[in-house]
Amino acid sequence: MLAAPIPPPLTLGDRRRPGWRAWALITPMVAWLLLFVIVPTAILFVYSFCERDEVGGVIFHFTWENYQRVLDPVYLLIFARSVGYAGLTTIICVIVGYPVAYYIARATEERRNRLLLLVMVPFWTSFLIRTYAWITILKQEGLLNGLLQSMHVTTGPLSLLYTPTAVVIGLVYAYLPFMILPIYGSAEKLDNALIEAAYDLGAGPLRAFSAVIVPLTMPGIAAGTLLVFVPAIGMFAITDLMGGAKVPMIGNVIQNQFLQARDWPFGAALGVVFMLMFAVTYGILQSRLARPKS
Amino acid sequence: MSAPANSMIEIRGVTKRFGSFTAVNDISLSVREGEFITLLGPSGCGKTTLLRLLAGFETPDAGSILLAGEDVSHLPPYRRSVNQVFQSYALFPHLTVRENVGFGLRMQQVPAAAAAERIREALATVSLEPMADRFPHQLSGGQRQRVALARAIVCRPKVLLLDEPLSALDAKLRHAMQLELKHLQRQLGLTFVFVTHDQEEALTMSDRIAIINHGRIEQLGDASEIYHKPRTPFAADFIGQANLLSVTVLSRHATTARVRLDDGLELTVSAAELPAASQTALISIRPEKIHISKRPIAADNVFSARIQEEIFQGATDQLWLVTDQGTRLHALVANESAMNEAYHEGERVYCSLHLDDLVIVQSA
Amino acid sequence: MKTLQTMLLALTVLWATVALPAAGEVNLFGWSEYVPQEVLDGFTKETGIKVNFESYASNEEMLSKLVAGGGAYDVVQPSDYTAEVMVRRGMLAPLNFALLPNRKNIAPDLLDLPHDPAGKFTVPYMTGTVGIVVNTEKVKTPITGYRDVFQPQFKDRLVVLNDNRELVTWVLYSLGLTSSDVSAASLAKVRPILAAWVKLVKVFDSDSPKTALLNGDVDIGIVWSGEAAILWNENKKFKYVLPVDGAHLFVDTLCIPALAKNKAAAHQLINYILRPEVSKLISDKFPYTNPNLAARQLLTADQLANPASYPASGKLETFRDIGKAAAEIDKLVTDLKSAQ
Repeated sequence: MLAAPIPPPLTLGDRRRPGWRAWALITPMVAWLLLFVIVPTAILFVYSFCERDEVGGVIFHFTWENYQRVLDPVYLLIFARSVGYAGLTTIICVIVGYPVAYYIARATEERRNRLLLLVMVPFWTSFLIRTYAWITILKQEGLLNGLLQSMHVTTGPLSLLYTPTAVVIGLVYAYLPFMILPIYGSAEKLDNALIEAAYDLGAGPLRAFSAVIVPLTMPGIAAGTLLVFVPAIGMFAITDLMGGAKVPMIGNVIQNQFLQARDWPFGAALGVVFMLMFAVTYGILQSRLARPKS
Repeated sequence: MSAPANSMIEIRGVTKRFGSFTAVNDISLSVREGEFITLLGPSGCGKTTLLRLLAGFETPDAGSILLAGEDVSHLPPYRRSVNQVFQSYALFPHLTVRENVGFGLRMQQVPAAAAAERIREALATVSLEPMADRFPHQLSGGQRQRVALARAIVCRPKVLLLDEPLSALDAKLRHAMQLELKHLQRQLGLTFVFVTHDQEEALTMSDRIAIINHGRIEQLGDASEIYHKPRTPFAADFIGQANLLSVTVLSRHATTARVRLDDGLELTVSAAELPAASQTALISIRPEKIHISKRPIAADNVFSARIQEEIFQGATDQLWLVTDQGTRLHALVANESAMNEAYHEGERVYCSLHLDDLVIVQSA
Repeated sequence: MKTLQTMLLALTVLWATVALPAAGEVNLFGWSEYVPQEVLDGFTKETGIKVNFESYASNEEMLSKLVAGGGAYDVVQPSDYTAEVMVRRGMLAPLNFALLPNRKNIAPDLLDLPHDPAGKFTVPYMTGTVGIVVNTEKVKTPITGYRDVFQPQFKDRLVVLNDNRELVTWVLYSLGLTSSDVSAASLAKVRPILAAWVKLVKVFDSDSPKTALLNGDVDIGIVWSGEAAILWNENKKFKYVLPVDGAHLFVDTLCIPALAKNKAAAHQLINYILRPEVSKLISDKFPYTNPNLAARQLLTADQLANPASYPASGKLETFRDIGKAAAEIDKLVTDLKSAQ
């Protein structure tokens, strides 16, 4: 938080050696990180420099070839497109999610808990089932087309499913809660007196929003952006189910390497580059936040 | 009905309710231009709500508020020429001191050069020029308080509202800031509406004090009037300390009257505002106005009492006396000379009460 | 690298130990949505052998798991071209025909295919074709081959399998080539045609291509024959056409990995599945072409009349393993899809 006071520097007296209890407490987490983060990442990294054999096994023979293939325009274009879709998704999520999160944060406590529950209710159902529900809504003879036609808004059925629009709808639907929750977190901490101070100093609702509320909830927006943008780049189920698998995203390409093309090393190289992109995005956002407005 | 020529704030019969709770109950108050008025009362009395009504954060359910003759009752805060110093200061954590102070000017679209000059001036007024580029979290509590002040006065409001601005400071800093605020107010000639629950703060700074209780003004007057002539038991008790004595009127004369305490002690009091004979009343006497002597003296209302408890407090001595009739009184004596006039527990002393110091705070 | 391999090996051994079957258990690694639960239950009820079923969604997924060190499976279900690789790499155990008396029920011509000559390692489970489904209410022009499907007038009215090799194969057939002809020269010829075809497709879906047809989102599909058969059962307006330019037969097999722990139970399970009345259960649920001639006797006239399940055709070729060309095909299709 920007508002947090700078912690005092550690003095010598504070620097105690962690005892065995401390180690015991963090052991499960370290083990978890090691087994499910470090080891798989290391395997992925090693594989990305290997060759494949005809069955789809991995031959431990060093090569740069996989990374050269990543730089092939075919894949760069797909990377760029994935980033574009993810970016659009993120922007829509911010625009749609911000008012929701802000409203929830400003509601009375009882109401706030109820609304938060509503935001989280979709997680109780399997993601795939929820996506199939969207297919039922958007298909040619589906609910939305039926509604539009019965209300005489449209005459014939609209082609909604298996379009880029459907993919974006699916992505926004899937990731909206991940935008709402962090923004809610920072909006809830926002001191009402600050907003009143802005009004008091002559800021109308719009100015108060842009000059005070948005900057102060920026950590939430940034966290939400990270939580939406990065996974949205790699999403493949939605492009398959709602986009008709017509336009491949980087997630589909990676999935294909493992499940169809039997080319694990190339899939691993794509994965490693993908992770690097995540790290860079994260780094940029962090440095933006850490640097106070000049 | 028009406002007096030099009236800056006119509050007319304002009522504000929150659900079934009436926070402000039909309050009327007129504040002169350049006046330092304090709204004093315990928490929950409605003083903060009244301030928020002035700022525009709340709108009245009944009545109206005039600012410099203009009805602002239903104007939003950003359209009123009042600025507030918040209890928590409410400094924008993402802006530097300079940007905080300049915020209001930016909103009013004051040209950059003029704004810079006014910011410099305002920071100079609160002696914070060297801190201009720091962030609020890099400042001490007192410095933040000054930034909040500078941010409010830089807008040149007609009225400055201060919501317990000193409550977060330690005692020493608070005393210094009380004087500084008073000087600043004189220097700028601004109208200040100051909210506090601290009676000492109110007495030190205010031109006038409005004592508020249960959403109503109990008493309005200058510091000395409020202190010496409390009009209600609440006013007497809330400002300073008071011995409240319940009495029955025995007889009335031209200017004086004879009353009897419940315990039988008879006193002579000023007859003004006293009810008819055989009625009851409540009178107040300040602890320091109980004159105490070790020897019998010739004065009004002399009686003897025993010192039940004595607490030495440096400049003063707190004494708890019990009259021969059994009434407990709280007295305060100056420690003029350490040796010869020291009082001790168990001693018998003579008390005298001047009839002007016996104030009738409630009559039947 | 050595350490990594050791670690992987250790993990594998650990996994294998944990998953080691008890005497009365058999581990089946099969296609998802392909083996009816009642078949497994029936086997357990009769023999007392518990079946641990684990599923996969593609041959490649199954192969990867096996290559990564799966000695724990007793029965697997590779398709023809995958079985070919597994035979070649010695990953399969030869079948003991004495333990498989019901093997005699299988159509003889399906026991001698290029991927497993003489049927020493595999026995067919189900077979099928990939063909064209036409919603005849919406499409009035006759459709006989791939070129009839991929016409500009059908833009955004097509669903096809989301399977890169299938897509390329259809173009190869339309060029008069075979499915195994994936030389660079052939692929160069495939590219421009496929580029135009890909643009016309509305949905690529291998899992449930019938959905888009049933929902009315598309009018023509190139799908698995089993999916087409379900559509036909649903509504006779969905006609199945085996493309005249060429089509292939796919054969999903049952076989026993060389490293299987419980080969006796594995044989028992395969033999049980080959029983006519059991094989019929599979046909009831998944209307592909049943290779079990004895089981076909038990099917209803309606089932046998389903043109998707039992299309009139001559002898069709089966897919052969194309090795590393799979990666080339993947890149080609990805590129074309991405370029639209």
